[in-house]
Amino acid sequence: MPRRELISGPNFSGRSGALMALLRDGAFAAESFYIGPYSEAALSGLSSTIADEIELYGAMTASFRRPPFSLLDVAAFSTREPQTLSGGEQVLLALHCFSLSGYRALAIDTALEQLDQANRDAALDFLDPRRELVESVALIDNRLPPPLPGWRCAERAADTTDFACDPRRVVADLPRRQAPAITIRGLTFAYRHGKDIFRDVDLALDGGAAYRLAGPNGAGKTTLLKLLVGVLAPSAGALLLGGEPYRPWRQGNRAIALATQNPDHQWCGATLRDDLARRRSAFARWVDPARMAGARMEALAAALGIHSLDARLYELPLAARKRLSWLWPLSGALPWVMLDEPSLGQDLATRTQLAAAIGSLTALGYGVLFVTHDDDFADRIPHRVLAIGNAQVKAL
Amino acid sequence: MTPNGAFTLGFILIALGMGVPGPRGVAVLAVLTLAFALIEVRGASVIALRRAAVVVLPLAGFMGVVWVGIVGESPAQLAADAAGTRSAALAYVATLCARLFFIVAVIQLVFLRFAKLTPLQVIRALALPATLKRVLVITLSLIGTLRHAIDRAHIALIAAGTLTRAPSWRNVLHSWRLIQAVWLSAITIMVGRMRDKWPVENTIARLDDTLANDSPAWFAGGDRIWLPISLGAAVIILVADRLGGAL
Amino acid sequence: MFTTSRLIVIALGAALNCAIGTIVYLLKLPVFLDSIGTILVALLLAPDRMAAFMCSWAAGWIGLALSGLINPFLPWFAVTDVAISAIAAILVVGAARTFRERPLGSVPFIGQVLLCGLVIGVVSAVVSVPVVVYLFGGVTGSGSALVVAVFLKAGQHLMSAAMLSGLASDPPDKILQVLFAALLYRATPGEFIAMLRIKEPEPSR
Repeated sequence: MPRRELISGPNFSGRSGALMALLRDGAFAAESFYIGPYSEAALSGLSSTIADEIELYGAMTASFRRPPFSLLDVAAFSTREPQTLSGGEQVLLALHCFSLSGYRALAIDTALEQLDQANRDAALDFLDPRRELVESVALIDNRLPPPLPGWRCAERAADTTDFACDPRRVVADLPRRQAPAITIRGLTFAYRHGKDIFRDVDLALDGGAAYRLAGPNGAGKTTLLKLLVGVLAPSAGALLLGGEPYRPWRQGNRAIALATQNPDHQWCGATLRDDLARRRSAFARWVDPARMAGARMEALAAALGIHSLDARLYELPLAARKRLSWLWPLSGALPWVMLDEPSLGQDLATRTQLAAAIGSLTALGYGVLFVTHDDDFADRIPHRVLAIGNAQVKAL
Repeated sequence: MTPNGAFTLGFILIALGMGVPGPRGVAVLAVLTLAFALIEVRGASVIALRRAAVVVLPLAGFMGVVWVGIVGESPAQLAADAAGTRSAALAYVATLCARLFFIVAVIQLVFLRFAKLTPLQVIRALALPATLKRVLVITLSLIGTLRHAIDRAHIALIAAGTLTRAPSWRNVLHSWRLIQAVWLSAITIMVGRMRDKWPVENTIARLDDTLANDSPAWFAGGDRIWLPISLGAAVIILVADRLGGAL
Repeated sequence: MFTTSRLIVIALGAALNCAIGTIVYLLKLPVFLDSIGTILVALLLAPDRMAAFMCSWAAGWIGLALSGLINPFLPWFAVTDVAISAIAAILVVGAARTFRERPLGSVPFIGQVLLCGLVIGVVSAVVSVPVVVYLFGGVTGSGSALVVAVFLKAGQHLMSAAMLSGLASDPPDKILQVLFAALLYRATPGEFIAMLRIKEPEPSR
């Protein structure tokens, strides 16, 4: 009978530790395929092309054959580096490799949260014990509350309050602000020797509203972000901020506070104090110093579960680093906020609070742009969809 | 041809090119390299030549400015305290650049010969110790990880006002923050792999199995033609140099 | 000697050497910074000087071999890399404790960076001269072109002109690289450094 273990509970209830203990228990499996929660955790780290990643796992001799799990067009991607795939695509690649391998057991630590609903459903169907495609599965997933038919569910309680967090407290005392509208006129951009990513795009983004960026991978979400913060310059067209010409590629970013998908990519220092000092210095000319004052930021960080500015950012637990990545955007330092998959790895209570915090931010007049595969999280935030594709961006 | 054979051939050609052959030696070397390019690399040879030109031309420009433009004589004339000429300087620069062009072209030809193989397939075919194969594979993967991290962290640090798109003093002062973010994000990923994924999956053993080369022979197929020819050419070139005009 | 964790450190150092060129290009920096990984590997393996030397050397050479496709002139400086690894193992490893001290002692930190960078820079310049002269006619890039031209016009012969050019440019570049390696070492999580010290069993079949 296939074995299915669902380990549930809030963040900081020791779920990952329990999962690892289970995997080391010989009774579960001698060896398991593992897809972890952190960036690139779905990848082996031993291949530089997708074809090699598949060959690495597919070469195992397998007495237990199962049909391949193939939701990714691996033939089209075979020469690409696995790191250039999106998080969700990396998880699909990992599941494909697992299906070709001889592993009899699979462990997944929150990785399925990076998939959109259709791919999640397909993955969960693949893992369904009734299909008997996998002998043993151990799963942690914040979007999958117990009970699940055929799964043994172990509910854990939080074992520490050290990182207790409520994002709503971060925005609770923010003053009202009318974020200037971002207007895009005739925006055209193509990478050198590539086809147009954007062609003659006209778009108006109002402050006091939230926009969900949607579109297939490669459609231009990252490129749009790069244009808005000034990493790239358009080949034609103009950007206006509050009706005035705005050229962040020349003047620097003055409008958007960004939280990256992998929190480790956004830190400006090794400690929170270093990071905030650098931001304070960078925006001293455009941001009210009171908004960035050390004492205020320390209090906001505490609301997100980090009680010392001397916290070493890269040594914090993953869920805590993710929460801390919301600090700069939610602090209200800049009028617009961009959040890339902000709810990854967060339990239901925290996701709900974050959605409420974002809703409060827009009610206070700030502008919000966000990317998420979690439709339930998105539905908790009043928003419009920005559909990106076919060299266009349209507000739906 | 195997990667072992191609790399060995490349080493021989480059070693011969470094040895300053005389005119006959240069001719033999050119014919051999051209034959390798046309028979083994074919159409991609043009890519190799173009890449070599792109790499060598800027350096040729600098050398030309120094030796022909400013100094106006060759190093041999300088050392002999003899009256120098710009034409001697030009000949010196031309010889150096031709050698550089040859080296780069040979390296490109050898790698383009195996452009259709994946990195894992090339490394598997190489006659190297298992430990070295492992570290090559991990390094190639990490280069991808670091490049991706550089792209993402660059966006974030520009958004945070820490770096600028254009050259600036700010970039000089704060570039270490980008390097730090990239390094530490890679460390975090590796710690996770070393602590969780690799022990649980026994992934390194999977890698060793994939890299094990079943073929006992280092050289096979076309190697058995090219290597003797190149060694024969080496003898001809060395003898031609030693005997002067006797051949 | 080459446990899995040390192989990872070597790979990280080599990959950093290869990837740093991307950062230099993106930020339009007027330096090379291509040996930070080599020096950092030695620091990470402190205080074991033999392991530091062997792994640093391996990281340097693997980085050169892989970079050779993009910059085919780098592998010719293989001997320079060995020299850098040797100095890193002898001198830089000794500064590891200073680099990681908390709170930071600015004077000893800066002193060690200057000393290590200067020695590495001088040794690197001297060891590189034959390659620079024979392969590049004394000129490896725009900055060195001007310096070498000045010395040649002043009557210096090629070897000494290339040496003086190298001694002018290498020490500042290497001081910067030691500084970056020290800052990265300082920021590296203790958990990772501890993992490098654990003896692990060979992977089972």
